[in-house]
Amino acid sequence: MIERGFGVAEGVSTALTWSLGVLLAAWLLLLVLEARSRKVSAWLTASGVLTALLVAAAILRPTRVTSRGADLFPKVVVLLDRSWRLDLKAGEQTREQVALDALHALQKQLKQARVEVLGFGEGPPAPFVEAEAGAVERPTDSDLTASLRALSAAPGERPKALVVVSDGRLTSPNEAATAETLKELGSRLGVPIHTVSVASSAPPDASIRKVGTTGAAVAHQKLALELSVGCSGGLSCDELPITVEELLHGEPPAPLAQGVAKVRDGVATLELPFTLDRAGRRLVRVRLDAPEGDKVPENNQRLLTFDVTRERVRLLHVAGRPTYDVRALRMWLKADESIDLIAFFILRTNSDATQVSDDSELALIPFPVDELFTEHLPSFDAVILQDIDAVEYKLERHLPALARYVRAGGGLIMVGGPSAFMGGGYAGSPLGEVLPVTLPDRDSAPPIDMASFEPRITPAGRAAPALRGVRELLGERLPQMLGSNTLGPLRPGAIALWEHPDRRAGRDAMPMLALGDSGDGRAIALGVDGTHLLQWSELGERSAGRAYGALWEGLVGWLMRDPRYESARLELTHECRAGAPASLVITRLPGAAVDVKVTLERLGDAGAPPAPPKPLQLRMEGDVETATLPLGALSEGGYTATVHIGSSPAARFDFACESGGPAFADSRPDPSLLERISQQTGGVSLKASEASSLKAPPPTHVESQRVVAPLLPAWIWALLAASGIGAHWYARRRAGLI
Amino acid sequence: MLGKKASRRHVVLSGLAALAGTRAAHAFGDVGAFNPRVVVAGGKRLSGPRSTGPASWSMELVNRTSAPARLAPREVSLDRPELCNEPFAIWAGDADVGSLSVAERRGLAKFIRLGGVLVVDDSDPAQGSFGRSVRRELLRVLPESPPVRLDPSHVVYKTFYIVERPVGRVLGPPTIDAIVRGKNAQVLLLSHDLLGALARSDEGSYSLPTEPSGYDQRQQAMRFAVNIAMYVLCSDYKDDQVHAPFLMRRRAQAR
Repeated sequence: MIERGFGVAEGVSTALTWSLGVLLAAWLLLLVLEARSRKVSAWLTASGVLTALLVAAAILRPTRVTSRGADLFPKVVVLLDRSWRLDLKAGEQTREQVALDALHALQKQLKQARVEVLGFGEGPPAPFVEAEAGAVERPTDSDLTASLRALSAAPGERPKALVVVSDGRLTSPNEAATAETLKELGSRLGVPIHTVSVASSAPPDASIRKVGTTGAAVAHQKLALELSVGCSGGLSCDELPITVEELLHGEPPAPLAQGVAKVRDGVATLELPFTLDRAGRRLVRVRLDAPEGDKVPENNQRLLTFDVTRERVRLLHVAGRPTYDVRALRMWLKADESIDLIAFFILRTNSDATQVSDDSELALIPFPVDELFTEHLPSFDAVILQDIDAVEYKLERHLPALARYVRAGGGLIMVGGPSAFMGGGYAGSPLGEVLPVTLPDRDSAPPIDMASFEPRITPAGRAAPALRGVRELLGERLPQMLGSNTLGPLRPGAIALWEHPDRRAGRDAMPMLALGDSGDGRAIALGVDGTHLLQWSELGERSAGRAYGALWEGLVGWLMRDPRYESARLELTHECRAGAPASLVITRLPGAAVDVKVTLERLGDAGAPPAPPKPLQLRMEGDVETATLPLGALSEGGYTATVHIGSSPAARFDFACESGGPAFADSRPDPSLLERISQQTGGVSLKASEASSLKAPPPTHVESQRVVAPLLPAWIWALLAASGIGAHWYARRRAGLI
Repeated sequence: MLGKKASRRHVVLSGLAALAGTRAAHAFGDVGAFNPRVVVAGGKRLSGPRSTGPASWSMELVNRTSAPARLAPREVSLDRPELCNEPFAIWAGDADVGSLSVAERRGLAKFIRLGGVLVVDDSDPAQGSFGRSVRRELLRVLPESPPVRLDPSHVVYKTFYIVERPVGRVLGPPTIDAIVRGKNAQVLLLSHDLLGALARSDEGSYSLPTEPSGYDQRQQAMRFAVNIAMYVLCSDYKDDQVHAPFLMRRRAQAR
């Protein structure tokens, strides 16, 4: 397209042009007044006007301007809400389908515009490609504010208009946003924001709209869950029962709290206090018993992940008799400020002759075995049983509870000695089931062996982070032990870190130090009674006794799931959503090439699964520290991923997959918010069915070439102006005006 | 070797001499047993009737408590690496120990820094030259840790028996001094001739008379010895909060 016009010479300022215009106007006014008062001839007045114009032309030096260019279609950015929430229904279709239909209508209608479609959710918006939409992870939130902020900060051409396609249930701005806040949204880009609402009516739905907590998730400390429950879409709600449960491995869900939400005007708030006793990653299910007619069952429950910390690790140390081994362990435990130690040592047996007239001369207290292993057991993070006879000290009747405690997430260390393992009556007991080793029947093997030996470190022991400290101090050497307990073969999934060089357990060397998971808990079996020799021996002295602390720090750390002693760090690539593909990121310490096996099991399923889950496998080469393993599409629920990296002890990661999650928490659309956004930013608000009526902004003319040529050379204009002045002066003289 | 409790309690005192004369067979369950090793320093070793004191101490411990003990304790030199093989030793004598060699001082320092407990037992507290000389040498080894008086509420007075004061063959001072490192009393300085109270003859009778009183004082000395052994084995176990109300009640009863 070519456009032609006129202009003035380059360098003539606007002020000069205006000043000249004012002078010219004044001159013409004087000429007119003169003509009226003195009755001068019209020719004289005309020459005066001509002279003034010639003077002006000499100053402005008019030019001829020729430009070439094109009208560009305006850029329009369509922001499509990508939250999971759009999987909710809007009539017969999902809100997502309605949004896509609206998008198609917009694309058809805005043919006179360059339409860029971006998906928004969390953070900056991303290009939306419909064909690839299913493969892209969808966000929970609908953060329009963050998207607009990113657009305004992006370089390049600014859009002429924005179109937001959503159901209006935005994370930001939300329904409480003020007019000023909404106005500011548009002012960032200086363009109107049009909105297309994809849903207008709420489905009949009772839901857990909001979950908050007061207080930190600290083991053994009360935590309050603040719930906001909503009822909408004409559903009749009055009192809605709510239960809170912890999902455990191989156990039915453990009830934590329950309450009733009394719904008034469609909402109810409820506070449910509960306590989580075990530290680490814990999954809690909050379930709402929705009334009949509820159309969105996905938001009737939430699966919450709590990273429960400890102020201090609370340990119960029970020893059958005082020895240097007991002393060393107690002193190490007491020296650690992060450990809250409760200890009970058997100092007197019924056969001891204490030589007192009555017990008031003794500083002894009864061993509160019943109280400890019933009332107080859940308050401990781990229990250490050191060389204590379960039968003689009436611990036997509490072994089932102790086994349940371990499966529910507690820690257990059984330390060797004549009264440990088989010698203490643990073979065939429920507690024997949670140990990482099997215990032979008392008739099939002697409970202890008297032969001295130096424990042999297994390949797993060399790879285990729990023993890294000892290895760094002592290398491959360990002190000579004066005998051992008889331990059976490892249980499935358990790992031996030390083994006996001569004794056999089945086909393999007898484990002397073994670790294993049992349900949600962990257990350690130590078949010797001389780890204090890591401090009190010529070998121990080489490390100034530090090897002893290094061993127990590693063992207690592993038992308490301290990340420093895990063989791998595990996390999901993104939040797990039921039905969508999930992937696990495995980060390990650098080392040799290893095979990695991952077993995935559901939490909260009581009893053994019908068939053992098939492990997923991959290989990590020597220089690879991080690998991603696809887990496939998972159904709703809590899961535990157990990862075996080479021969190292297994690392475990618990996670939840939700169907609705926080995205579905509030199923009500909010078209009024979209209307307010449009109103405050100068846009229009449309329903999805009206998307085809949106008008495109006017096109933008873009010049590609501009030619400026003077009408006459400057000297000619000057000559003409001078001639005009001269002629006008002469005419005045002749008329007798000068 | 010490087997199950039932077998230990049948050990008769008359067998002490025979046991003391043989090398103890260390085995499973025995490696952590209380072992009152007698310190040899400057070539001076414990002799005379008190040399049976450590074995008698072990026997009393085994008979009265659940703790295992070595019935034939051995000597250990301050300059030998074996000193640091166990966390306890007793250094007894009745004369000036002289000046320790560099190796002995180094060995003693290593033992203490590893967390070991040493009982210094003056066999002739009336003269006190042994006690003074040991304090002098300890000050050279641990100049940063001078002895302090142990509070009467210290755990050593309640680790097994509730005892009011330290007692040995002689009544001695009502308190004991100790070198305390961190929260632990690691060197107990006794002026009560504890081994003298425990010493027995081959026939099983007590070798040395207690002064000033008789049977009761010896019993109190034995209780104190058991408490020291329990302190070595359990450290400050009886200071745990869980024991506090019981002990307060019992002390009140005793008064």
